[in-house]
Amino acid sequence: FQLSPSQINDILRAGELSHKILDLNGKNANSVLKFESNQLASNTPIEDRRSAATCLQTKGMMFGVFDGHAGSACAQAVSERLLHYIAVSLMPRQTLEEIELAVECMKPVLPILQWHKHPNDVEYREITSQYFENLRVYWQHLLDLDTEPGFSLEEAMICAFKRLDSDISLEVQAPQENELMRNIALQVAFSGATACVAHIDGVHLHVANTGDCRAILGVHEEDGTWSTLPLTRDHNAFDEFEIRRLKREHPRSEEKTLLVNDRLLGILMPSRAFGDVQLKWSKELQHSVLENSCDVEALNIYQYVPPNYHTPPYLTAEPEVTYHKLRSKDKFLVIASDGLWEMLSNEKVVKLVAGHLMELNVQKPQLAFEKPVNLGYMHSLLLQRKNRGIASLDQNIATHLIRHAIGSNEYGEVDQEKLAAMLTLPEDLARMYRDDITVTVVYFNSETIENYYRNNE
Amino acid sequence: IVDPDGRIYIRNWQGGILSGGFEKNPKPLFTEGRNQLEIQNLQEDWDHFEPLLSALLRRMPDLEALQIMQLVNCPESFTPDMRCIMGESPTVRGYFVLAGMNSAGISYGGGAGKYLAEWMVNGYPSENVWPLDLKRFGTLQSSRTFLRHRVMEVMPLMCDLKVPRWDFQTGRQLRTSPLYDRLDAQGARWMEKHGFERVKYFVPPGKDLLDLDQSKTFYKPDWFDIVGSEVKCCKEAVCVIDMSSFTKFEISSTGDQALESLQYLFSNDLDVPVGHVVHTGMLNEKGGYENDCSIARLSKRSFFMISPTDQQVHCWAWLKNRLPDDSNLTMEDVTWKYTALNLIGPRAVDVLSELSYAPITPEHFPSLFCKEMSVGYANGIRVMSITHTGEPGFMLYIPIEYALHVYNEVMNMGQKYGIRNAGYYALRSLRIEKFFAFWGQDLDAFTTPMECGREFQVKLEKGMQFVGQEALLEQKQNGVYKRFTMFILEDHDTDMDLWPWWGEPIFRNGRYVGKTTSSAYSYTLERHVCLGFVQHFDEKTGEELVVTTDFINQGEYEIDIAGQRFQAKAKLYPFSSLFTHRRRKDEVELSGYQRE
Repeated sequence: FQLSPSQINDILRAGELSHKILDLNGKNANSVLKFESNQLASNTPIEDRRSAATCLQTKGMMFGVFDGHAGSACAQAVSERLLHYIAVSLMPRQTLEEIELAVECMKPVLPILQWHKHPNDVEYREITSQYFENLRVYWQHLLDLDTEPGFSLEEAMICAFKRLDSDISLEVQAPQENELMRNIALQVAFSGATACVAHIDGVHLHVANTGDCRAILGVHEEDGTWSTLPLTRDHNAFDEFEIRRLKREHPRSEEKTLLVNDRLLGILMPSRAFGDVQLKWSKELQHSVLENSCDVEALNIYQYVPPNYHTPPYLTAEPEVTYHKLRSKDKFLVIASDGLWEMLSNEKVVKLVAGHLMELNVQKPQLAFEKPVNLGYMHSLLLQRKNRGIASLDQNIATHLIRHAIGSNEYGEVDQEKLAAMLTLPEDLARMYRDDITVTVVYFNSETIENYYRNNE
Repeated sequence: IVDPDGRIYIRNWQGGILSGGFEKNPKPLFTEGRNQLEIQNLQEDWDHFEPLLSALLRRMPDLEALQIMQLVNCPESFTPDMRCIMGESPTVRGYFVLAGMNSAGISYGGGAGKYLAEWMVNGYPSENVWPLDLKRFGTLQSSRTFLRHRVMEVMPLMCDLKVPRWDFQTGRQLRTSPLYDRLDAQGARWMEKHGFERVKYFVPPGKDLLDLDQSKTFYKPDWFDIVGSEVKCCKEAVCVIDMSSFTKFEISSTGDQALESLQYLFSNDLDVPVGHVVHTGMLNEKGGYENDCSIARLSKRSFFMISPTDQQVHCWAWLKNRLPDDSNLTMEDVTWKYTALNLIGPRAVDVLSELSYAPITPEHFPSLFCKEMSVGYANGIRVMSITHTGEPGFMLYIPIEYALHVYNEVMNMGQKYGIRNAGYYALRSLRIEKFFAFWGQDLDAFTTPMECGREFQVKLEKGMQFVGQEALLEQKQNGVYKRFTMFILEDHDTDMDLWPWWGEPIFRNGRYVGKTTSSAYSYTLERHVCLGFVQHFDEKTGEELVVTTDFINQGEYEIDIAGQRFQAKAKLYPFSSLFTHRRRKDEVELSGYQRE
């Protein structure tokens, strides 16, 4: 049994999502040209999530990639909620007041985000209203600050990340009548997720990262070569800064036990994450919360107290925010979960996207034939052209990257047999060969960026 | 030879063959305002032609050896609804158009030319051509983006199966009611008429319908139960239907000009007390319906006219051309100014009276009345005691800024009366089982009031002149040659048999006598009801004879649905005993039929 090329394509393309920014009035004012995204599961169900949305009350677009662990609950919740928290943090006081008033009077509320979703991106329908309530508490808090929030983008993103994580932690401690909601809250808090979110407004690019997802820029240098600009650091045991931070935050006595086998307390790969209250709460709190909940096992919650657990919290959701002012030579942004980066280097990813860009730009070669020709010959000629087109070209760049990530042989070429083998691994083995992969590629409109510099000089 | 699966056609051509087709991925042209002279300069595009060539060689493999003479790449014109455009411009008199043949120009050319010639010479063609009439479109269907998207959808449909109640997917959400988002959030499913989004039905939470493609059927559709429960609610409690798409004109004058002109242009007597609503036809010289509308007399000198949605261009042009050129007589299109809510059902009266603190009993508010009242906080709501279905209830014409408020008030207050949203499919079922004809579907420019039992809506006895009077007088004297009839299918299995939609042949005593014009499942009768016209052809000569009541009543009828005949009972009057929830004895909307 082997998958046919078209079956392989169907599997690879199932998660494709793309959105082109409409060119209004012929003047494309948005610095984002389009984005293309895809994901491929290794865990069943997949634990990665992604989000993309346009801010409707402020300017800019946001793209997020979320890598869940110990289940998908936390990644799911973060993917639904985080962009809202950021958007709210960015809103001027007056807009927040308007929204609060509308909610107060049970009037329709101004839409905050326009989502760009894949049909398979589902929501926890049952719990959206509670999420909304807590979001409201957040903006009420912002309104209570009494002054114009006036966050810088960096502050807003940090604040949103921390607030959401604290809400996740508080929701599970609050008394909850509804059993379904309580179970969801438990699953969310006791699983974890890393997050990498980019906010793009004109030439201003901010990337907030918590954990080991990664964002890089593809830069087209003037001499025609391509280079790579990483925008995040992987928060894990291989990062000098993270090691130093952890050591700073905990007593010297724990220096040896903080990172064991390159994992936080010997347990967790990323050193920052949402959820994972096992590494944030005191033992007593964990105990009392789990004691009151009915069926921990049925909820697939990992119950453990890590060894050498003396001075929690060991884990934080606070992101590191990078700012980059886009130049016209910055052509695209790639955000992906570690599943991709384990397989492909930054340089290889930029090379693949750049190559794909070039290929799209090159016109199909002219069909060359000498008359007279018969129909059969012409037909075979056309089919050849068509097949060549299909084999080399994924319309969606994220698919192209995933195909290379799991199908490349030692020469860096896609090997159909390897691809087929990787896609037919039994469920329980798949995770040993590849992780969930989620990729979002955002293309920039160089013209808009150039115009910005022209008009502002 | 046409091969719809391969999307191709093949024919003889100068000793060889000519083959082309309708690809799935058409390339729209000339929507960017490029010079149309480029028609001659289009490059051949073999890659684009490949799927059609593959289909051709699959059907006729031996053609492989044929030599290619030429690949012709030239554009074809398509229209937003796949029907050609014909007729006189609504704005420039004497300017006639025949275009957009959807690549069937060669086959339709003869007939289309004939009808257009008749139109130019006689003022109207000899057949009903409303489906092709230029005036079915307005400027709203002519934006470049709309055309670009719609033609890309229309063209592949040339080779696809066309099922009943199919809605175009492109060029949507152009005109919407202010309540659109609210209704959409409550599960509304939409169809479009004249660019306006209208609700078909509401999918209850937790219930899923089939995918678009799978819902294509000629049998019982997946919305059957949903619409059934909406109909039940209309019968037993109260429902709200957003009917904002209706075309609305206001006609007023400083003196009696409005009344005088309208009396001449409309067939029913409009000189009624202020606050009355009149159902009337707008007839042509031959007595046929150019429009069928309701007109409310707002004051001595002003009238509010409600017509079907797709009358916006046609009716406007018709009246503009015929109203006297008098600056003291004004006509305004106020379609966009009002949101229309139809409150249908026995409890509508309770909801409305609680919201208005005004007596709404039949004594204070008989059928076919129009009053300005306050509903909730909103003042100046035009309330009319009509529902376009024969059910009790009210139409609320609400200035759009109050639409959301009134809707919220109605829904909140209605809760205790079991109010719910309903859509046009429920409305259809209700009006068809009550034998209500709709213009554009049952009525057209070749149907007169006499032929559909609406003599009572004509002021023949009042000694007033009006358009179409002579033709109607003649019919009154000599009888009619077709008669609008209601059929109840007897042995039709709703679950298993193909459904009737429209255009099914009617057989009387085994002989063809006409076609249906619309049909619906009646949830009250638990039977299908078809409406249609019965004619009487002489058995030997085929000559058309007068249709009498006896002729209708004394026949055995069958309706032919896709080759299978079903027994049908013919009726010239609607059921009245079956409808138990009637509250008002003097149901004018209905009783009119019985007055004949």
